[in-house]
Amino acid sequence: MSDVRTWYVYWLSRITAGLVFIALLSLGCAPSIALYSERAYDQAVTLKASSLRLMDRAVEPYNDHEQSIESLLFEMDKAYEYARGRPANELSTRQWEILRDPDRHLLGGFIRRWEEQETLSPFFISEAKEQVGHAFDTVIGLESGKIRPSEVN
Amino acid sequence: MINFSLIVEEFRNELISLSSDLRDDIKDALLQDGLDFIEGSKADLERWSNLFAAGQLSREELEWLLRSKRDLVEMEALKQKGLALARIDRYRNAVTQSALNAVFKGIS
Repeated sequence: MSDVRTWYVYWLSRITAGLVFIALLSLGCAPSIALYSERAYDQAVTLKASSLRLMDRAVEPYNDHEQSIESLLFEMDKAYEYARGRPANELSTRQWEILRDPDRHLLGGFIRRWEEQETLSPFFISEAKEQVGHAFDTVIGLESGKIRPSEVN
Repeated sequence: MINFSLIVEEFRNELISLSSDLRDDIKDALLQDGLDFIEGSKADLERWSNLFAAGQLSREELEWLLRSKRDLVEMEALKQKGLALARIDRYRNAVTQSALNAVFKGIS
């Protein structure tokens, strides 16, 4: 009986030590970056398509497309706020900030330029679209490179 | 004339700053991926120079595009850092799983 008890205590202590070790290992390793979000990915892909399509319209007066522009900017705001609200998601949040900032030179800056100039030249639009498209690709690329929730222990 | 070397240097500095808290091997991989990206941008810069010379882009438009390239460089650097962090997390998860497997093997 005492042999069984000794065996029991021996193995229980080893298992407990092992589980405590794993728990400490996990607790000490908070994720470095947010997990992948299907919603965030979809937002980025949809906004890329909408933005590039709207940029094509910049050969026409800004005022003729004000409603569409406001609608796009609202969707961009939603994507930014969603990114900002997720823990460990600072890098993606920063990407959205740069993309939508009217003082920078991607989508936000393009829309400001369109408003200031009234119309933009086809050559400029074509080149700016390349840059904005690549910018969205970096957002999409980062999101799709994150760990899926199903991969987490 | 666009000073491509200056753009490459600026980007390298941006990447170094962003990767300062990463391990050396991850930092090196991030820098290499980033430099490959900027080398790919050389064609854009040459095309813009030609469009400007042909009068199809104004000086102001050229300047705007150059600034957009700088912003894009920052976007790419953020992406590279994020992917490096995801790789670290995957490695950590693998280590934890291995430890779990070892414990359960010990039990059985």
